Amino acid sequence: MSAASPTAVQGAASPTGAAGTKQGLKLVLKVWRQGARGAPGQFETHELQNVSTDMSFLEMLDVLNEGLIREGKDPVAFEHDCREGICGSCGFVINGQAHGPQKETTVCQLHMRSFRSGETLVIEPFRATAFPILKDLVVDRSAFDRIVAAGGYVSVNTGSAPDANAILIPKDNAERAFDAAACIGCGACVAACPNGSAMLFVGAKVSHLAALPQGQSERDHRALDMVAAMDKEGFGDCSNHLECVASCPKGIAGTNIAQLNREFAKASLRSGSR
Amino acid sequence: MSSVTSPNPPGALRKGPGIASALRPTSMRWILRFFGSSIGKKYVMAVTGLLLVGFLVAHLAGNLLLYADESGGKFKAYAEGLHDLGPLLWAAELGLIGLFGLHVFYALQTLRDNRAARQSRYAVSASRGAKTLASATMPITGAIVLLFVIVHLVHFRLDDAFKGDDPAGLVKSTLASPLAAAIYLVGVGALTLHLSHAIQSALQTLGASHPNFNPVREKLGLGLAVLLGLGFASFPVYALIAWGGGNS
Repeated sequence: MSAASPTAVQGAASPTGAAGTKQGLKLVLKVWRQGARGAPGQFETHELQNVSTDMSFLEMLDVLNEGLIREGKDPVAFEHDCREGICGSCGFVINGQAHGPQKETTVCQLHMRSFRSGETLVIEPFRATAFPILKDLVVDRSAFDRIVAAGGYVSVNTGSAPDANAILIPKDNAERAFDAAACIGCGACVAACPNGSAMLFVGAKVSHLAALPQGQSERDHRALDMVAAMDKEGFGDCSNHLECVASCPKGIAGTNIAQLNREFAKASLRSGSR
Repeated sequence: MSSVTSPNPPGALRKGPGIASALRPTSMRWILRFFGSSIGKKYVMAVTGLLLVGFLVAHLAGNLLLYADESGGKFKAYAEGLHDLGPLLWAAELGLIGLFGLHVFYALQTLRDNRAARQSRYAVSASRGAKTLASATMPITGAIVLLFVIVHLVHFRLDDAFKGDDPAGLVKSTLASPLAAAIYLVGVGALTLHLSHAIQSALQTLGASHPNFNPVREKLGLGLAVLLGLGFASFPVYALIAWGGGNS
């Protein structure tokens, strides 16, 4: 856990700060470095000078990595894709908070203006047994994929595109379904949960399809199979701290967990010998 | 094989589902699956917990009879009424032990699961304000309540004097000791903290969650916990003030 090989990276100049008209942030980063799955990890300290407040957090890490590459060192591994807050690829923990301090914001949409000059930022990967660390800030979230594969879908004939509005859905149901469907599967809920529970994620998937007519025929199977897959992956049990809800970048509500419980209980009672 | 006469001719199978087929392992599979699942465990915790809260309400109502008269006659009548139930009281007590045992058993199971699911800790731990002191200390307050209940049963239920002529006197003489009063205040304090999260959490687990009444559910849970806590804490406090000097 001790700091190793401190590095000072210069030249992280902001676009506006090129002429020195705008002073950027001075930051100390303590970044978790881990070579491979199961390998021992430790924090590595880096200092960044003149960081533009217009940068996103990931752009700030890009600058750090460019400096590390120039020095012939291994860049910090982190995941990202769209950088628009909608793909769910990015995500790590900044000063103990998944996706950092800003409410309902993914780390790619978190800007450096959220921080003060002179701050020390401790950057760690999501920590949960079901999300093993692969390298540095990258964790294996394929457990979520396996839960979705167990039932987080509707089986439809993939022939020609169906007519629009062929299936009428009441506005309230569509709204409820969309609120749950806003989940991007980033895993912040698991990272924030003291129990490493995935019930907000699974609750969002089950509630989303339970609100739609297309989801009805597989409703019971979905609840039973997704909960079984969730338990098999080694996620914890919900204690209703609701840190997951507070940490969710998409504002998924805790009512989805209660609905998951209802769906699972009803499906269990109806399942009989299945 | 086909030429051998079957001991059960085909017609015998068409008698409809009997007890034997109802108890076939396959038809009971859902029960095992439900109670072995993460959500099933939480349901058991919630249902047993809420039933125990129901017991606490009745227990407090009975105890408040201690204030009904100075002689303790009404409390004695209440105690005698309970003892007169005979086998029914035994059944009720067995039920309570069963509820408590299930609650503790599944608490230990979920504690084990949750420890296993989060083995490594963050270097910096920062809550976003959703977690509370009560929710974060449920296993600790639960363990304190368990120890307290054992002490409490030894003090009263297992003391032969409790079935005697003056049960109110036993309460007064027991609680008049400052040490006993302190134990009861710590026990009741832990119980109150436990319930302040537990009641609303159990209702959420059972599926009672909707944006319209979630604030009400949370306030009702906290309110009931505080009422029970104040009620139970009043006995050791009153004992120290009113009974402490005279009886010690």
